[in-house]
Amino acid sequence: MANKNKIDTIERPMSPHLQVYKISFTMMMSMMHRVSGFVLYLGSFLFLAWYISIFFGQESYNFVNQLFSFSIIKFALFLFTWVFFHHLFGGIRHFIWDFGLGFDLNSVEWLARLTALFSFLSASLLWLL
Amino acid sequence: MAELTLPQNSKVQKGKEYPLENECENKKGFSIYRWSPDDDENPRTDYFEIDLSKCGPMVLDAIIKIKNEIDPTLTFRRSCREGICGSCAMNIDGVNTLACTKSIDDVKGDIRINPLPHQPVVKDLVPDLTNFYEQHKSVQPWLKTKTDQPEKEWYQSKEDREKVDGMYECIMCACCSTSCPSYWWSPDKYLGPAALLQANRWIKDSRDEFKEERLDELDDAFKVYSCRTIMNCAKSCPKGLSPAKAIADIKKELATRK
Repeated sequence: MANKNKIDTIERPMSPHLQVYKISFTMMMSMMHRVSGFVLYLGSFLFLAWYISIFFGQESYNFVNQLFSFSIIKFALFLFTWVFFHHLFGGIRHFIWDFGLGFDLNSVEWLARLTALFSFLSASLLWLL
Repeated sequence: MAELTLPQNSKVQKGKEYPLENECENKKGFSIYRWSPDDDENPRTDYFEIDLSKCGPMVLDAIIKIKNEIDPTLTFRRSCREGICGSCAMNIDGVNTLACTKSIDDVKGDIRINPLPHQPVVKDLVPDLTNFYEQHKSVQPWLKTKTDQPEKEWYQSKEDREKVDGMYECIMCACCSTSCPSYWWSPDKYLGPAALLQANRWIKDSRDEFKEERLDELDDAFKVYSCRTIMNCAKSCPKGLSPAKAIADIKKELATRK
């Protein structure tokens, strides 16, 4: 058995982190904000496809519209609008924090809930109209 | 880049079990992280059962009982047993807190105990906090002045004194910093909630005359701005403080100064 008591030379294990930490709602919302930002970036290519199709004339425009009317793609588009509103309201939440407001634990929880609720409501509303 | 999984030598394996010999009404199970530098084993989780009717109310009472009566090699830091020294900070039931102020009854079922997350382990529940203390040192947490030393003491009005409420109470237990995913992913660049709370404590101190220099020092892409307001820090603080608010205050100072 080697003597590994010299602090500097020992290869120490790293204590568990994500594996053991209790995932809280605000932690989830922070991850969602990051993920939604990335999805927004990817989703913008869909819009690009739509615009470019106009450039190639009526036929290609109709084709893309048809593609977008498949239910599975429609669902993806709905998710995209939800992600859009999620990131938007998340941004507003961060804006409030930038003023140094809403930091007590109750407000933090409520801001997170409202962000989730309003993003879903707004996306649904937009699609119902 | 964030390493989401543990390195090979840190993967936790199933360990020994120490069940109670006689069934009893107030049985409680504890799953505790173990690692020793004296062998070449990976970390493991040992399972202990104790009779709560023969144990004090706090998690610290339970692990002291385990050390005294079941396995004397169980290693952890503790001192004051009343939430003021910050030694017994550990991850209990998934959240960082002090073992001495965490009631056993607060946790349903078995209690999982791990060392403070994402730190090198010295032994069992003892993490190596060298980096954490270095960062604390880097914010120069002491009174710095330019004017000559007054004859008596540096005066401070009651109102000015109140400005450091919610910050001076920090006991540097490291619960907040080691609960923060941003700190996990960049412990070398991001100062972490505890050091930043301390930085803000001196920025807000009416007697300190190095506010601008302190802010200059913090004005960096990572030191402060790695905070994503995940809020784990404030949720885990055993003293009920809000490092997140302190960090927001620093960001505000940085954004509004000329």
